[in-house]
Amino acid sequence: MSTQTPSRPDPARRTSTLQKRQSMLPKPSSIVLDPSVLIAQHAQLTGTHPITIGPNAILHPHCKVSSAFAPVVLGEGVLIYERARAGVGFGDTGGGSGSGDESRRSSVASSGGARDSLRVDGTVLGKNVVVESAAVVEAAEVGEGSVIEAQAVLGRGCVVGKFCTIGASCVLPPNTSIPDYTVVYGGGERRIDKTLQSRPEILQARVLMHTRQIDMFKKLVPNNVAKWST
Amino acid sequence: MAQPFPYTYYSCDCCDSDATAPRAERTSQLPPADDEDARTFDPRSPRANYSLYPLEHLLYCEDCQQIRCPRCVIEETLNWYCPSCLFEVPSSVIKTDGNRCTRNCYNCPVCTSPMTVNSLEDPAKPSPSGGPFILSCPYCHWSTVEIGITLEKHTGITSQLARTANGGKYIPSQKERDKERERRLQLSHRKSRDVLSGSDDSPTVDIDTDPSSMSHEDIFSNLSAFYKSQIAAQTPSYPFSPGHDINFSSPVAYSRLMTIYSPTTSKKRWQEKPAVMRESSGPLEGLIEHDSAADNLAIERLKKEGWASTLTPSQKLAQVSKPDTRFDDSLRPIPALLCTKRGKRCRDCRHILSKPESKITSTRYKIKLVAFNHIPRLSIRALASSPSSTSTTPAPTPTTPSTSTSTSTQAFNYNALKPGIPIPFLLHLLNPLFDPIRVTLATPKFTSGRVQSQVTILCPQFEVGANTDVWDDALTGSALGSVKKGGGPSGGAGGGGGSGGGGELEAGKIWEKGRNWTTVVVEVVPGFLRGIPGFGGSGRSPAATTSHGHGTGNDDDAEELEDAEDEHDAVLEIPVFVRIEYETDAQAEDRSLVDPRGGKGEKVKREEAFWTVVGVGRIQDV
Repeated sequence: MSTQTPSRPDPARRTSTLQKRQSMLPKPSSIVLDPSVLIAQHAQLTGTHPITIGPNAILHPHCKVSSAFAPVVLGEGVLIYERARAGVGFGDTGGGSGSGDESRRSSVASSGGARDSLRVDGTVLGKNVVVESAAVVEAAEVGEGSVIEAQAVLGRGCVVGKFCTIGASCVLPPNTSIPDYTVVYGGGERRIDKTLQSRPEILQARVLMHTRQIDMFKKLVPNNVAKWST
Repeated sequence: MAQPFPYTYYSCDCCDSDATAPRAERTSQLPPADDEDARTFDPRSPRANYSLYPLEHLLYCEDCQQIRCPRCVIEETLNWYCPSCLFEVPSSVIKTDGNRCTRNCYNCPVCTSPMTVNSLEDPAKPSPSGGPFILSCPYCHWSTVEIGITLEKHTGITSQLARTANGGKYIPSQKERDKERERRLQLSHRKSRDVLSGSDDSPTVDIDTDPSSMSHEDIFSNLSAFYKSQIAAQTPSYPFSPGHDINFSSPVAYSRLMTIYSPTTSKKRWQEKPAVMRESSGPLEGLIEHDSAADNLAIERLKKEGWASTLTPSQKLAQVSKPDTRFDDSLRPIPALLCTKRGKRCRDCRHILSKPESKITSTRYKIKLVAFNHIPRLSIRALASSPSSTSTTPAPTPTTPSTSTSTSTQAFNYNALKPGIPIPFLLHLLNPLFDPIRVTLATPKFTSGRVQSQVTILCPQFEVGANTDVWDDALTGSALGSVKKGGGPSGGAGGGGGSGGGGELEAGKIWEKGRNWTTVVVEVVPGFLRGIPGFGGSGRSPAATTSHGHGTGNDDDAEELEDAEDEHDAVLEIPVFVRIEYETDAQAEDRSLVDPRGGKGEKVKREEAFWTVVGVGRIQDV
């Protein structure tokens, strides 16, 4: 960690434009990509920890995956839409922008101490997880088939179960645990989706739709994966 | 205040005209008209809240030639429609079926968002109809699967749901239920008669009579059927009953009954007979007894499933047929509430003021008499950040009023008016009429309330040009375009206290004039928040500042109270009386009234007057 710290640009310069930042930040130490992954142009993979992306994952333009503080694993068939962000360290989540920025800055300054407060072992998105536009996922784990809708925020260390739906603009505070089949809607209301739970055919239909969607994206979105697979 | 400073509210005197009339009678000989004229509008009186509206909220009655506020119009429903499917519902259907959509529009009982019909078709073995369907909520993912209902068709949801109870059980129709009730009642009668004979014929159709499972409508229909039968039994000689199906739901029958029973018509015949009616005594007759076992069951269920399975009060209330429901398995999709399109009429002359097009999908109006087409728009803004700069260098002549407002609002802070210092404001009048108007403004010299601010309109009488074609300006040349101050012909009759202003702010002269707008200067001396009333207004006197000590020499409690009042008092609102006069082409009806032989070019003199309240800003505490 200490060897990488000098190579990182100072905080003032990091708040420059996106393009510059992309060129300046070190590429992740290891990016493991399945050959079937689709990474669109302008999608960003940053950070120093490894990033692993499973088969048939789709990363839309202008989405960001950051492994600045912890490794990121995107499972099979993960869909990440425009301007969505996945990975620990997108400071403006959880306990507000102030604390997030602070923790990031302090970790840059004294990496040893900050590491203890960030006891996160990465972000894992399970199979067929969908992260919609402008959502922020810092969660530790998101289970299979869950949907994070537009502008939702999952705080640090959240654990989301299988087939959950986090509604648009819902914010989960850090370290929240959500059981399987939960729907979070209306700014914090929660309910168990008994329909999905009781009817496997609906679940199958959903999976089918998801795979069809991935096929369609592969036809429509130009693939820029060559930039990242070195 | 909801609106940021500066703002203008228009007063509709509909409530005052109602209120002052009885008061005048009581106090007596003073004619109400005099009272009305003598009184200045007080924006601080509690009643003022109910008569002040922004110009955009007001309508205008052309016949009464008056402003009409939301309180002096009558609304009438033109047609009903479903906001979800945008189909019009005839009023006859409203009367029979109620104000809910009877097509396929449903709202989610959990989160109230509109539900969609989804297919549950198995892709492996597709059914000819497209498989069973469900109603599901795209937002919170609630669906009719959770209450055990699947539908056969994707249309006619209402009729399908009416036949299906939660859990998929069949609900008999109203007729079937009535028949069944009759049968059971007869059965029970026979049973009670043949108890000794011991004949026991079991019911052929098993309809649930368990009170807990009976729907609200069931119970109600049972109850009403029981009482109808009671009345029929009690009044066999009722004159109207044999021929007519008398029921108490019809208002005609009810009023007939009322005349019969009313004390004026002494029908001894009826009074002699005390009606002894039996009350209902069982679920078949609509009586549901309180069952403690059901409560215990509910408690057990709460223990087992927790709060997650219960409903919120709003969810409960949204349930149309079952207001007493407790758990989420008894939810029903909520049929969409219908909306109305409404017309507005003047309360006095019943003329239509606004009428939307009857087509549901159209948002246009057939008739819309809004006030800002008939009433000059008043707006106020600070002259400049400092009056001294304007006096030395002439202010740039803005071609449009909007440009000048944007520059001055940036510089001037309306939330911190300095007390005791004269501040020039520009009062801007925009004329929407097609005739030039002559305007007379009036305002009390001091604002009402504890903090008295001095207000002086430097030019209270002036003219505003007609709202002619925009291009007339350009075609006739710039000479008539915008005239810098002093262009107005008005006399300096009223500008009494203009002495406080700078040398350039001349009394009796308008500030600026355009095609259909005129701007005059209003000089305001904000009062002191902590001054003796009456003293604070005379801003220039140094006594006002010394009075500070006298005013606040009380104990701390009074101080705190004063602080709260200060917050309210600090808002500087100026009542302005506006009177406009203009000559316009006579309309057909006016001509007939004024002069039956009137020619085409006949002009009619019109006059209008109303109070406005101009919110200038907030006085800064010193």
